Amino acid sequence: MEVVDARVAIAPAISLLCAALVFAAADHTFWRRFFSLSAALAKLIIVMSMLPGALKGVVYTFDLVEFTPGVGLAFRADALGMFFAVVSSTLWLFTSIYAIGYMEREPNRRRFFGFFALCVSTTVGVAFAENLLTLFLFYETLTICTYPLVVHDETPEAMRAGRTYLAYTLTGGAFVLLGSIWTYQLAGTMTLSQPGILTMEAGRTTLTALFVCLIAGFGVKAAIMPLHGWLPTAMVAPTPVSALLHAVAVVKVGAFGVLRTIYNVFGVDLLQELGVCDWLAALAGITIIAASVIAIFQDNFKRRLAFSTISQLSYIVLGAALLSPLAATAAIVHIANQAFAKITMFFVAGSIQRTTGKTAIHEFAGIGYRMPYTMGAFTVAALSFIGIPLFAGFVTKWYLSLGALESDQWIYALVMLGSSLLNAAYWLPIIYTAFFKSPREDALVHEAHWTMLGPTLLCAAYVLLLGMTVSVPGMPFALAQAAVKFVFGM
Amino acid sequence: MIEALWNNLDYAASVILFCIGLYAVITRNNLIKKFMGLNIMETAVFAFIVALGVVENGDAPIMGDGASAPFINPLPQALILTGIVVAVSTTALALSLVIRIWRQCGTIEADELREAE
Amino acid sequence: MTSWSPLLALFLVIPLVGAVLTPVVSDSSGRRSWGWAVFIMSVTSAMSVSLIVRVLEEGPFSYVIGGWVAPYGIELRFDEFSASVAIVCLLGLLAIVFSRHYAPQALTPERIPYYYTLLLLNLTGMLGFIVTGDLFNLYVFTEILSLSAYALVAISGEKTAEMAAFKYLVMGAVSSLSILFGVGLLYALTGSLNMADVTSRLAGTAHAPLVMAFAALTLGFMVKAALFPLHIWLPDAHAIAPSPVSAVLSGLVVKIGILGMLRVYQMAYGSGAIDLSGLNLTLTWLGAISIVMGAFFAVFQDDIKMMLAYSTISNIGYIVMGLGLASSYSLIGASVHVFNHALIKATLFLGAGALIHQTGQRTLTGLAGIGRSMPFTTAAISIGAISIVGIPPTAGFLCKWYIALGALEAGEPIFAVALVFGALLIFIYYIRMVNAFYFRKPQDAGAPAVHEAPLTMLVPVLILAALCLIMGILGRLPLSFIEPAVTRLLTPLGGG
Repeated sequence: MEVVDARVAIAPAISLLCAALVFAAADHTFWRRFFSLSAALAKLIIVMSMLPGALKGVVYTFDLVEFTPGVGLAFRADALGMFFAVVSSTLWLFTSIYAIGYMEREPNRRRFFGFFALCVSTTVGVAFAENLLTLFLFYETLTICTYPLVVHDETPEAMRAGRTYLAYTLTGGAFVLLGSIWTYQLAGTMTLSQPGILTMEAGRTTLTALFVCLIAGFGVKAAIMPLHGWLPTAMVAPTPVSALLHAVAVVKVGAFGVLRTIYNVFGVDLLQELGVCDWLAALAGITIIAASVIAIFQDNFKRRLAFSTISQLSYIVLGAALLSPLAATAAIVHIANQAFAKITMFFVAGSIQRTTGKTAIHEFAGIGYRMPYTMGAFTVAALSFIGIPLFAGFVTKWYLSLGALESDQWIYALVMLGSSLLNAAYWLPIIYTAFFKSPREDALVHEAHWTMLGPTLLCAAYVLLLGMTVSVPGMPFALAQAAVKFVFGM
Repeated sequence: MIEALWNNLDYAASVILFCIGLYAVITRNNLIKKFMGLNIMETAVFAFIVALGVVENGDAPIMGDGASAPFINPLPQALILTGIVVAVSTTALALSLVIRIWRQCGTIEADELREAE
Repeated sequence: MTSWSPLLALFLVIPLVGAVLTPVVSDSSGRRSWGWAVFIMSVTSAMSVSLIVRVLEEGPFSYVIGGWVAPYGIELRFDEFSASVAIVCLLGLLAIVFSRHYAPQALTPERIPYYYTLLLLNLTGMLGFIVTGDLFNLYVFTEILSLSAYALVAISGEKTAEMAAFKYLVMGAVSSLSILFGVGLLYALTGSLNMADVTSRLAGTAHAPLVMAFAALTLGFMVKAALFPLHIWLPDAHAIAPSPVSAVLSGLVVKIGILGMLRVYQMAYGSGAIDLSGLNLTLTWLGAISIVMGAFFAVFQDDIKMMLAYSTISNIGYIVMGLGLASSYSLIGASVHVFNHALIKATLFLGAGALIHQTGQRTLTGLAGIGRSMPFTTAAISIGAISIVGIPPTAGFLCKWYIALGALEAGEPIFAVALVFGALLIFIYYIRMVNAFYFRKPQDAGAPAVHEAPLTMLVPVLILAALCLIMGILGRLPLSFIEPAVTRLLTPLGGG
C-alpha cells in the first residue's frame, strides 16, 4: 500500500533546517547544541513515527519536484530505505551527543556542526531516494558535505587527505551519474520502487558495462578493494567525523547504493542470468580477507579500525552479490550490526585520544584499568566482530554462511570462518594489552566525560541487544525480511 | 575541370586572392602586415560578391535616358558598399590598437611582443 | 495581428540610437551615462517581453522594413529561437547596472561614456543578429557586435588588453570574412538573401559550391564560438576585459557563434539539400575535445577569470557536441544550455568581478579566505559553480542530462563519458575555488579589511544566482520554447 506523506521529505529536511540554524546561530554555544540535539531528536521521532506503518507494509512516498516528465526528485520510504534511515537517525542522535563532548575546545565548531547535520540530512535522503537521480544527488552532496569535515583541522596533512578523498569519491560519483543516465536511456525510468527495471533486451554487453559502471561508482564509497584507498587516509579527521564516515554516512551510502543497484535497478533474476555477481562476490571475498590481513599490521588504532571497516563493508556487498534470500537478509541486517559495533569502537578511540592523548595500540597497556567502562564497551564491539554468538556480528555471519551454502558457494562460508579468525587476531591483542599488560594504572580511574561515555555505552548495549533478540526496539529485523521478500518476489 | 575554372575565372581569382591574404595573416610577424593580409582577404570577398552581379553586356542599373536592359544586378554592389564600411571601421580599430601597442611596447612585431608579455 | 508590428524594428532602433546618444547625454563623472544606459536597456527589455508574449500567443511573426515584401525586402523575423533576446536583454541590463561602480575603477573617466556606447552597440548587434531574417544583415549585425567586442576588450587601455584585443580582432575579422564569403556563395546559388527563401530554393543547386558555402559559414561561426582548435583568442580576451564585459562576452557573444550555426542548420535541414553527417561527426568530436581540453586547462589556472574563460570553452564544447549529435534530445539540451550557460557564466564573471573590485586580487591565492568577508558574493559564486558542474537541481543539470541522453540515444556512449568526465574536471577546479574562499587563511592578516560589494554589484549577482536555481527547478519552462523549435528544425520544410 502506498501513501503520499510529506514525512519522507521532512526527515531529510529537518537536518537541513538544523544546519541552517546552526550556521545562523554563529558562535552561541548553547543554541548550537540546542539545535543540533533537538533536530537529531525530531528526526528520530519522525522516522520512528513511520516505523509502525512501514512494518505493516505501508510505503510512504512524496514527489518533491519534477524537472521534466520522468526526471525529478522524489522520496519513497520502502522497507530497505526505512531500515537504513532508522539506523542512521538513531546513530545521529548518539553521535551528536558525543560530538558535543568531543569538540568542546576545537575551533570552527559552527562549520563542523553545520556540515555534520547536512551529512545526516543527505544520508536519510539517500535512504528515501525514490529514483537513481535523487540517489545520485544526495550521494554527491554527501561527498561535498563531508569534505569540510575531513579537512576540519586545516593542516597540510588534512588538506591532502581531503584531496584524496575527493578524487576518489567524485570519480565514483561521475560513474554513478553516467550509470543513471544510461539506465534512464535503457529503461525509460530511474525508479527504485521495482524489483529491477532493466531487461535482457538491452543486450549482455551493455548490461555488463552498466553494472560495472554503477558498482564502480558506489563501490568507491563502499570501499571495495581496489577502490578503498581514500578510507585510511581520511582518518585524519576528528573522531566523531570518522565515526560518522565509517559507520553511518559515507560508507553505508556506498553499500546501500550497491544494494539498490543489485535489487532495484537490475533485479535478482536478471543478474542471475547475467552472471556478473559471481565476480562481485569474489571481489568482496578477497576484500574481506585482504583488508583483515592488513589490519593486523596497523599500530595506529584508527587505521586498524579503518581496515576493519573495509573488511566489514564487503560483508554487505558479498551478502548482496550472493543473490540468495538468506544472504540478502544478512547484507541488510549487517548495515545495522556493523554500524553500531564500529561506532562503538570509534567512540572508544576518540575517548581514549581525548582523555589520555594516546593513538597507537602499543601505548594502550593497562588502559582498561583507567577507563574500565570504555574498554568494556570496546570488548563488546570486538566480540561482535569476531562473531561470538549472542553478539550482533554473529547474526550476520550465520545468515551469510547459510546464504553461501544455499547458493552452493560454500567457499564463502569458509571466508566467513577465516574472517572470524582474522578478526580475533587483530582485536584480541588490543583487549589483552588494555587489561593484562602493565603498567596497571588502577589507582587512576579516569573516564571520559559523560557526553562521550554515555553514547559509547548505549551503542555497546545495542550491539548486545541486536545479537540476543534479533528484533530490538527500533531495529526491526522484520523490515529487513520485508525488503528481502519484496526483492525476491516471495 | 580546367574549363570550369576558365569559365569562372573571376571566382577562382578571388579565391586565390583570399588564400594569399590568409597566408599573410597567418605567417607575417608584423601586426601591420598581418592586417594588410586581412585587407587583401576583404578585397577578395568583395570582388567575389560584386562579380556575382555581373551580367554579360549588361548596363549600369541607372534609370534615365538610354537605359536599356539587361542591367547589372545592383544588389551585390549595394551590399558591398556596406561591407566596405564595415571593413574600413575594422581597419580603423585595428590601426588604433596597433598605434597604442606601439606606444606602450615600442614594437609591433608579434614575437617580440610575446617575449615582452 | 493583435500587436503593433513595427515594434520589432523599434526594438533594434532604440538601443542603437541610445548607444549613439550616450556620449551626448553624459556628464564629466560618467554617472549620467550609466543612468541613460540603464534606461535604454530597461525599455528594450520591456519590449523584448512583449515580443516574447506575442510569439507565445501567435507563433513566429515577421516585419519587413520599408514595406517591401519578403524575399525582396529586409525581413525581421521573430521565432522561438528569437526568444533568446530575453536573455540578452536581461544580462545586458544586469551587466550595465553592475558597471556603476566597476567602470569608474577600471577605466579612465573620459572613456566611461564610450564604454556604455560600446556595450549598448554590442547588445544591439546581438539583438539584431537574433531577429534578422536576412543573411546579409546577419553579417552586418555580426560585425556590429564583433567590432564593439574588440573595442570593449581593449577599453581598459592596459598593454595586455590591447594585445588580446588585437588577437581577437584578427581572428574575428577572418571569421567574419568567412561568413561573408558563405553568404555570397549562397546568394550566388539561390539569388536570394532571405533565409526562409534561400532554404526553399537550395534543393537542386550545385553540390560543391553548396558544401563550400556551408563550410565557410560553419567555420566562421566556429571561430566566433571559440570551438577547439579555433579557441585561442578567447582566454586572454575574456580574462582581461572588464568583468561586466567578460560576462557579456562569455555569456552572450560566443553564443552568437552557436546561434549562427543553428541558423545554418535551420537552412541545411530545412532544404534537405545537403548531407550533414560529416559535419555533424566533426562537430561532435571537436565538441568533445573542447569539453575535456577546456576543463583540463581550467584546472591549472590560478587566475579566477582565466579559469572561467577556459570553462567557457568547455561549455561551448557541450553545446556544439549537442548540435553535432543531432538527436532531438541532444539538440534540446544544447539549445537550453545556450540560455542556461549564459546565466551561469554571467553569475560567475560578475561575482568574480565583485571580488576583484573589492579586493584588487584576481588569483585564488590572493582571494584566500574571502568567504568570511564577502559571504553573499561567494555564496552566489558557489551556486554558479554548482550549476556549471551540472548538479541538480540547478540550471546546468538538465542541459547536460539531455545532451548525455542524446549521446546514448545516438548510440555513442563515448560522448556521454566525455561529458561526465568533463564535468568532473570542472568540478575539481571549482572545489579548488571554494576551498580557497572558505578553507584557507587570508594571505596576510595585516591587509585592510574587505567589505561586501556595493548593492549595484551585489544585486545583479544575487539575481543571477537565484535564476541559476530557479531555472533548474523550472527546467520545463525553456523546454516549452525549445521543443517546438527543435521539432521544426528536424523536419524538412516541405515534409510534415
